[in-house]
Amino acid sequence: MAVNREAALVSRQPLDGAYLLLSFRHPEVAREARAGQFVMIKAGTSAEPPLRRPFSVLTVDAAAGTFTLFLKVVGAGTRALAALAPGDLAQCLGPLGQPFVAPPAGHEALLVAGGYGIAPFHLFCEELLRAGGRARVFYGGRAEGDLQVREPFARMGVPLLPATDDGSFGHHGRVTEPVESYLDAARGPAVLYACGPDPMLHAVARLAARRGLPAQVSLDPWMGCGVGTCLGCVVRIQGADEPRARYRCACTEGPVFDGREVVWAGDEVSAARWEAAGAVVPVPEGR
Amino acid sequence: MSAPAAATAPRLAVDVGGLRLKNPLLAASGTFGYGVEYADILDLSALGGLVSKGLYLEPRDGCPTPRIAETPSGLLNAIGLQGVGVRAFVEEVLPALRAYDTAVVVNVCGDTVEEYAEVTRIVDAAPGVAGVEVNISCPNVKKGGMAFGGDPRMTFEVVSAVRRATRLPVIPKLSPNVADIAVFARASEEAGADALSCINTVLGLAVDVETRRPRLAYGTGGLSGPAIRPIAVRMAWQAARAVKIPVIGIGGIASAEDALEFLIAGCRAVQIGTANFVDPGVYARVRAGLEDYLRRHGLDDINRVVGTLRYPGLPAAEELGG
Repeated sequence: MAVNREAALVSRQPLDGAYLLLSFRHPEVAREARAGQFVMIKAGTSAEPPLRRPFSVLTVDAAAGTFTLFLKVVGAGTRALAALAPGDLAQCLGPLGQPFVAPPAGHEALLVAGGYGIAPFHLFCEELLRAGGRARVFYGGRAEGDLQVREPFARMGVPLLPATDDGSFGHHGRVTEPVESYLDAARGPAVLYACGPDPMLHAVARLAARRGLPAQVSLDPWMGCGVGTCLGCVVRIQGADEPRARYRCACTEGPVFDGREVVWAGDEVSAARWEAAGAVVPVPEGR
Repeated sequence: MSAPAAATAPRLAVDVGGLRLKNPLLAASGTFGYGVEYADILDLSALGGLVSKGLYLEPRDGCPTPRIAETPSGLLNAIGLQGVGVRAFVEEVLPALRAYDTAVVVNVCGDTVEEYAEVTRIVDAAPGVAGVEVNISCPNVKKGGMAFGGDPRMTFEVVSAVRRATRLPVIPKLSPNVADIAVFARASEEAGADALSCINTVLGLAVDVETRRPRLAYGTGGLSGPAIRPIAVRMAWQAARAVKIPVIGIGGIASAEDALEFLIAGCRAVQIGTANFVDPGVYARVRAGLEDYLRRHGLDDINRVVGTLRYPGLPAAEELGG
């Protein structure tokens, strides 16, 4: 159950570029957070910036009662968090949202991350390995400096395939390309998981739908409250049996959704509905 | 320890036109869902009351996304009254809310005067409702909403229709997007309103300079949060001076001091809105702050603060109009 409390910063580790790791004391998040869940957090109590920000939980230490976030400083909210010193307080509500669902026994989990979208996959790999499962990480970014969280996967023995837009590290190109190559080699059954920018999530969902593979995508819209009351973070979701898409809160019904049920920007229907309708495109309502 | 404990805790109970609250703090419509969303996170019984998300007869999809944008000390939104519809609320949500010792006020909406009345009749027939707030001020719907709240004759008509549909306290929620809120306050009072909620969000526009598009998909939106507080205090004060019925102040309240500004300016109670998103623990903090203020000022009852604004050279009401 989500708990709202003041959470003291216990450690701060700057990484390269605008990235850093921040650990906070919050026993409930530390004990209960599952991979894919998030916290709503804000530095201190100042009026600026007004809103808390959602972040996936990177790791937890239940014994110490702490959890760690991986974040990139991109705006006022992350800048304020990055400026905290150990002992400083943040306001934190969590854990929130629906976690990733582990693949069926015998399936390999293929985790596709873009930039700071790597965050939920650390915890997820721990959960999968603990349950005797197999995982493989595909980690994309603009340049090598955007692939900051690699060592924990090496430590866990999880294979990691990097990809960079500028070719500075790993595969030169989009992260979905090594995913396709891996799947082309046609090994055993797999489930795709993705967290990162929307275009990447869409590409992974398309790729999965084309190959008939299940995909779970973690969406990251702007959030106001994190608990389903502001209705600011809604996304269009359409199950196979739903004639029309409905707005669902990413904070409570997500952030993890079935990639086939997401109605992506510019689309009229979800892949699930498309298939259920025999791939007959419904006439769009007048625009 | 600071001040010695008072013999008895200061009284916080207020009566807002027949809406009896154990403390003057309500959760504002649209910022608290239907209440149950917060049941596990905070003690709902600590609230004087809560106002539901706006409800029409039928479920509504609301606006396309993006729906929210953060602005300086504020939040710009165009949600568009997405909701489950009044019947689902009455059947599925209200029974759960009755378990909590807090007043439940239902925010009623409509595309037509008749729809407002019909929604109100359904609410009136349901057990466990303490009042009806009439949403004539949502800036993010094409019909209803501000179309009714921006025309005093329509305000009179809608509030009269709601009045005829219920015995519950009727509380129109007024828009700040008018030249003279006093006109709308008086129209509501004449139509039989028991109290007023002042104010709804301030119409705004935020622009993404890279794409040169509005930051919200709907285009314009309603601004809330501390950014609008001085506007809200001024308009609630103007409304309170214009009518005899009590006023509930709304607009950027995040602390006891903020709430006291409205109370001193003449409001009998206040609603907390955007601060719910920032800190769900806001009620306990504000309530403790109000008690502390009363003790420091040697007062035993929050009602003794209401309308105590010291304003030398106070302009006449007509000088403040539009």
